[in-house]
Order: sequence, then structure tokens, then C-alpha cells
Amino acid sequence: MNVPVPRDIPLPLPAPEGLLEVLLIVSFIVHIVFVHMMLGGSLFSLFCQIKGLKQIEYERLAYKIAQAVTVNKSLAVVMGVAPLLIINTLYAPQFYASSALIGGAWMAVIPLVAVAFLLAYAHKFWWDRFVNIPELHIGIAALESALFLFIPLIYMTNVNLMLFPEYWPEVKGFFSAVLLPNVLQRYLHFVSAAILFSALFFAWWSGRPAFQAEVKLSQPLLQSVRRFFYAFAFGATIFQILSGLVVFVSLPAQGMSWGVTLLLFAGGGFGVPALYWMWGNLVNHEIPLDRHFSKIIGLFACTILAMAVARHEYRENALKDHKLAIAQKTANYLAAAADARQEAESAALAQQNEPVDPGEQAFQRNCAACHHINLPTVGPDMGEIHRIYAGDAKGLIRWTQNPGKKRENSMQMPGFPHLSETELQAIADYMLR
Amino acid sequence: MDFPIFHIDFIGNRLLIAVDAILHVLINHAFAIGALPIVVLLEYTGIRHGDPRWDTLAYRLLKVVFIVTTTVGALTGVGIWFSAALVNPAAIGSLIRVFFWGWFVEWIVFVSEVSLIMLYFLSWPNSTESALAKRRHMRFGVMLAAFSWITMAIIVAILGFMMDPGDWHERQSLWAGLFNPMYLPQLAFRTSLAMVMGGMTMMAFGYWFTDRDTTFREGLARTICVWTALWTGLLAITAWWYSSVVPAHMLANIPVAITTQAYTDWLANFKWVLIAGLLFVGWVLTDSLRRPGRLHGGQYVAAALVLCVMLGQFERVREFIRKPFIIGNYMYANGIRVADYPLLRRDGILKHAVYAGVRDIRSDNQTVAGREVFQLTCTRCHTVKGVNGIRAQLVRMYGDQRWNADVIAAYLENMHGARYFMPPFPGNQEELTALAVYLASLQNRAQSYEGVQVTGIPKPDHVAASTHYGSIPDLTHP
Repeated sequence: MNVPVPRDIPLPLPAPEGLLEVLLIVSFIVHIVFVHMMLGGSLFSLFCQIKGLKQIEYERLAYKIAQAVTVNKSLAVVMGVAPLLIINTLYAPQFYASSALIGGAWMAVIPLVAVAFLLAYAHKFWWDRFVNIPELHIGIAALESALFLFIPLIYMTNVNLMLFPEYWPEVKGFFSAVLLPNVLQRYLHFVSAAILFSALFFAWWSGRPAFQAEVKLSQPLLQSVRRFFYAFAFGATIFQILSGLVVFVSLPAQGMSWGVTLLLFAGGGFGVPALYWMWGNLVNHEIPLDRHFSKIIGLFACTILAMAVARHEYRENALKDHKLAIAQKTANYLAAAADARQEAESAALAQQNEPVDPGEQAFQRNCAACHHINLPTVGPDMGEIHRIYAGDAKGLIRWTQNPGKKRENSMQMPGFPHLSETELQAIADYMLR
Repeated sequence: MDFPIFHIDFIGNRLLIAVDAILHVLINHAFAIGALPIVVLLEYTGIRHGDPRWDTLAYRLLKVVFIVTTTVGALTGVGIWFSAALVNPAAIGSLIRVFFWGWFVEWIVFVSEVSLIMLYFLSWPNSTESALAKRRHMRFGVMLAAFSWITMAIIVAILGFMMDPGDWHERQSLWAGLFNPMYLPQLAFRTSLAMVMGGMTMMAFGYWFTDRDTTFREGLARTICVWTALWTGLLAITAWWYSSVVPAHMLANIPVAITTQAYTDWLANFKWVLIAGLLFVGWVLTDSLRRPGRLHGGQYVAAALVLCVMLGQFERVREFIRKPFIIGNYMYANGIRVADYPLLRRDGILKHAVYAGVRDIRSDNQTVAGREVFQLTCTRCHTVKGVNGIRAQLVRMYGDQRWNADVIAAYLENMHGARYFMPPFPGNQEELTALAVYLASLQNRAQSYEGVQVTGIPKPDHVAASTHYGSIPDLTHP
């Protein structure tokens, strides 16, 4: 295997691996759902605001959506902490390596998200201040959406890179890692999922009785808004299935198995009846929009679960050999380290029986870095000190206790307040011997 | 040690993490932990006096807290993980293994905290409808303030552990790590500091949000300043308690360090800056109690800034005196375990480093090999030409006389004896010589050191790709 095999952290896992994996899958699903709503919401808010230039009701709708975005974005961040913690625990050797390899972009996530969040607040809290300058207001929303679109690409690049240690030696920075097989396909699949989920969310949200009063939409307009979201959900589902197939055929073979294949197709398969119901609702205006809604949501919930499990299975398959090799290397390394410790201990024991000069010992510990036998290091060498202080141990001790600076171009010697009188005497005796 | 090395030569790793962490701590102390009790206090005062101005002001202050904490505050918190994982993966990876459940609980508290601040903030406009709704609403605030404090209470355990793990070495359990000797004093100190900072910050904003010469502003100054003054008294006591538990070797070894003469002076000044800062804050507080509402708003801003500087300096000192360890007595600041030193000193670190490009040192590759050694042993704290640059250190030591590799090697060998904050050199003699040759070469042509995010990693060789270890029999194939 021509793959770098690093050593793992030599401390036990804090919990059984299986428990951590279950926690990872569950917390990741919660995180990604809020991320989808944050990104999709931001895009829909922008889209509706542009539409609102011609049709004022859509501007009110855009404001309502912007309010949901700021709630979803806060939850997206906090929910992301748990999967991040577990990834750090379970995949330390791989995750830290891939993070370092795209380190610049990875570190940029923090300021980029902070700026995106501040833009989201500026967009929401100053809504009424932009009445006369819609270009600027829409510009802020566009910038916020662009950042929300870009940040997931960094994540996707990292979690993809950590799966394939064999690619690590080829990677030179973030952009070369983006071009690895499967990153861009997965990214498109992700973005369409964000549109799908937020479209479904807003289709439900706009159906609540309070919504109509809050946004002040007429009944017919409310229906067309809901159909607008529904149409997006329908289109995004088709795109999901197609881009999912592209992702499937381009997945590197390292992680593939029949189990993964089955889960992926089952997950995609749940979308087919959902599509059928959505289509029925869209072509037939007589059917109330909510009739099949809970079934559709149920199906997509199954899709998410199947996909999340498949994703984890794929990762485990892809890293199986690497994890095993790392475990072996770590065990061997720890044995070698223990062996060397023992060797060093017995050498130290053997040395213990030899007589030692306390002055020499204290000299080595405190003075040798700067005062060499014959080399001019930081301070004067031993010969010079000997010339100055020969027969004057008291003078040397006084200098050590209260040193000054003798040479223009060198550093001043620090005091040694922690050394006792006896130690200083021993050092001086040793130096002047 | 066994990770690809991320490095930015201009700002350096330490500054990268310091900027993020200090920003986080300032926001966290001043805006989350310290400010929320004040918002609740003002809301309560509004209920007591039946005066809607208190409520309006409390809501405006909460809006500031809400925006700052949910954007920069929350993100820099996550950023500490991002940057720590890049700067010293071995250390953060070890801490995560020890404190996983601590962090997991903290995450649950954090989720509750964010949910509560949204609930508290977003439901505020509706809460003014009735007295009952208002009292119920205030409960969210009390819970929010409690949860904000709990997140800090958990994190402080980990910070204390890094300074002094106590008896964790013997027991290696989460509880032993959690209740380390530094824990309670540091928590008490940070709690009172946060309350004082919150008081000053909210007073500065409150001043800005109220009108001149009104009895309302007087009442505001009196309410916030009484609360803050009580905590300032506690701050002085807890600061003394905290400083009394800092392990003696950490305090005593500052003066040992050569070339830290400037630092020791600075430390002595720091004590006076601290006292002067506290006196200034105390003066602002007593003055605004004596003539409430008459003080200039700039004085509150100045007091808040003084506290920020004090906290920043405190974090710096705390980070510095922990050295040479990143986790007390367990792992050095270079990311290498104390227990691994004998092996690396015997065999050399290049023999064991997966991502190293050179394995054997010959006379013709000493500089290249030395650069690799520099990468593995020095770059967690030093850059070549940027912040805490090694070149500037050498200039300070040897000036413009010709840098001599033998002289530098003699220094490196014993440097940890004189400079207590430096870990001992972890490699073998050949590597020490190569490092000295590389360092001496920096005098003429110093090229910045770029991390793997720019250069990538070398092609894996037989050491990188193998799973067994030199003379040790392969344990995996018995």
C-alpha cells in the first residue's frame, strides 16, 4: 500500500466505537438539515427579493424568509459542533491530515461564516433602511448567498480528502483538492438538496394559518406562492436523482460495497413516489397542496437516513485498510517507545553508581547553554571566565546573583534567584577548578 | 508529531490561535457570561418599577449581545478547534480523547444556550403584553445566563488541565482531569472578571442608548454599578486565590529564562498594570455611584477596554508559563509526548516521522535535513522570518558576526536548562548538528518556511508506508 500510514493518538477512545458512530450519524443529520435550510433559505430570500422588485408581495415574503434564515444558521453552527467533535475523535489521523493539506481554505471557514452571518443580520435588521437603495440591499443578500454557497465546498473538499490517503501526496493546496474525483459532483448534489429541503420547508411554513396574516398575502397569491415552492421542490428532486447517479458512478471504488449500493439506491428510490405525488399536486389544481405532504416528508426522512448511513458505510469501507494499518503502526510504535524508555532507564541507573560532581551537574543544567568550554557562544567561554575570576569564587557568585551587561552586542545575563547559596558555591567551584 | 505540518510563516501558529482565542474569550466574558445577568437585572428592574424604559433598554442591550455572540462569538469558539487542530493536532487530539464527554455535555449546554438566546430575544416583543408573560419571559433570561456560565465552567476545567493535570497521570480518568488543582480558583476568577467586564460593557452601551441628564440614566448607572462593584471586590480576592495555586515551578522559572529579561521586567510591570487597571475600574464605579449619570460615557468605554487588555494579558501569561508543556508533564509544546523522547533521541525523529522527506543525514544533505528537523521540532512555536522568528532570535544572540553551526549546536544541546520554556531537543546528535547547520545558513539566505497547505507532503517511502518499527519485532504478525 503506497499510502502514508501515520500513528494514532496513543490514548483510548472515550467510548465504544459503535456508539460514537451512531452519535456521528444522528448529529450529522441534524446539522445538515439546518445547513440545507440556511443555504436554501438564503437563496430563496434573494430570489424572492429580486422578484419583489416587480411584485411587491414577494418582497414581504423575502423578509419573512430572511427571518427564518438567521434562526436556521445559528442552529446549523451549534449542531455542527457534535459531528466535528466525533470526527476529531474517530478519524484523528485522517481528518487532521486533510485539514492541514487544505489548511488555508479550512481556516478561512471561520471568518467567512462570521462575515456571512453578519451580512445575514444586516440584511434582516436593516430591512427598512434599504427602501430607496434596493441594489445595495439585494447586493448584501447576494454576497451572503455566495458565501453560504462557497463554504460547503471547503467542507466537502475536506471530508472527501480525508477518505483517500492515497491522494494526499498529490494535493498542493485547496484548489488541487477540489479537483479530486467526486468533489464537484457531490457539491452539486448537496446544493440541490438544500433547495429541495428548504422548498419543502417553506411550502409547509407558508401553509400555517399565522403565515398569511404575518406576510399579508391574499388567498390566491398565497396559493401561488405555495405552488412556487412546490415546483422548486419537484425540480430539485429530479436534479437530486440525476446528480445522485453521477455521484454514484464517479465514487472511487475504495469505499464501494453491495451494502452501500443498496442503501444509495433505496435512498434515491424513496424519491420516486414523492415525485409522483408532487407531480399530481402540480398539474391538478383541485388537489389541496397538503394532501400528500406528510407522506412526502416521511419518504424524504427515509432518504436522509439511508443516505447518511450509506455515507458512513462508504467512509468506513474506504478507510478500513488504512485504519487497520494505523492501529498496527501505533501499537508497534508504542512498543518501540517503551523499549527505548526502558533502555534509557537502565542506562541512567548504571550512571547513578558513578560519582557525580554536584557543581558540574548544576552547571550543565543552568549555565552550559550560554557558556561553553572553548566556543564563544552567547556568553564568554570558560577560559575567559577563568581568567577574570581565578581565585575569586565570591566575585563570580556576586556577579551571578546580580549580573550586568559587559558586551555591547550581546544579551544581558539574567539573574538566578532560584539557585541557593550552596548551589552557587558548587557551580563557582566547578567553574574555577 | 505524526501529522502533516500546517504553518504560516508570516503570523506563525501561536498568533493564529491567539487572535482567534482571545477574541473569543473577550466576547465570551464581556458579552455572554457577564452581560446576560445585567440584561435580566434591567428587565427585572423594569417589572419592579413598572417603567417601560427599562424594558426597552434591556431589549436593545440584548440585541447587541445577541448579534455579537451568535456571529463572531460562536464562530471564534468553533475557530479554536479549527485552529488548534491545525496548530497542534497531537495536543488537541489528546485533549479530545480525555475530555470527550466533557465536550459532549458542553455541546448540549451550548445548544440549549443558543436556543435560549433565540427564545429570549425573539419572544421579547410579545412578552410585554401582560405582567404574567413578562415574568415568564424573564425566566428564559435567568436560564440563559445560567447556561452561558455552565459552558465556561466546563471549558475552564480543560484549560486548568493543560496547565496542571494533577493526578491524571496516574488515574487517566475524565474526573481526575476535570477536577485538576487549577480548576476551582480559575473558575472563580474568570466568573468575577466576566461579571465586571459585562457590567462595564453594558454600562458603556447603556450610556449610549440613553439621554443626557435624565434620572433614568442615573438609575441605570446606579443599578449596573452596584452589581459590578460587588463583583470587583470578589475579583480581587479570586485573583489572589488563583495566583496562589499556580505551580511554583511555573512562577519561579520565568526569571530563569535567558533573554527574557525584557519579559521579567514586563511581568513586574504587568502586576502594576493589573493593579492600576483595577483601581481605575474601581474609581469609575465609585465615581458613578457618587454622582450617577454625570460620568462621561468614554470612561465606561475606557474601563471596559482596560478590562479587555487585562484579560488579554492574563491569557498570554497563562499560555506562556505553561511551557515547555502544552499538556503539563505529558506533552511538550512541540507536540511530542514526554514518553517518546528516549526513542526519538536514540533513533532520531526523521526515522519515525511519517511525513518527513529525508531519512538519513549525510554530509551533503545537512541543510535540507536540518530544515526537516526544524519543521518537526520548532515550527509549532517559531517561524523563520515572521512572528517569533528564529532568524530574529539568532540575530539577537549572535548579531552580525558569522553564525557558527558548532556554537549554535552547543547552545541547542543545553538550551532547555537555561530557557525553561523551551522543550529539550527531541532528536539525536546528528539531527541536532543538521538543525544547527540549517539555522546557521539562515544568516545569508533565509527562505520562509511554507507549510503543507502550500508545498504538499512528500511521496510516501518505506518508512511512511510501513506498519512496523525497526528492530522491534512486528507485533501485528505474531
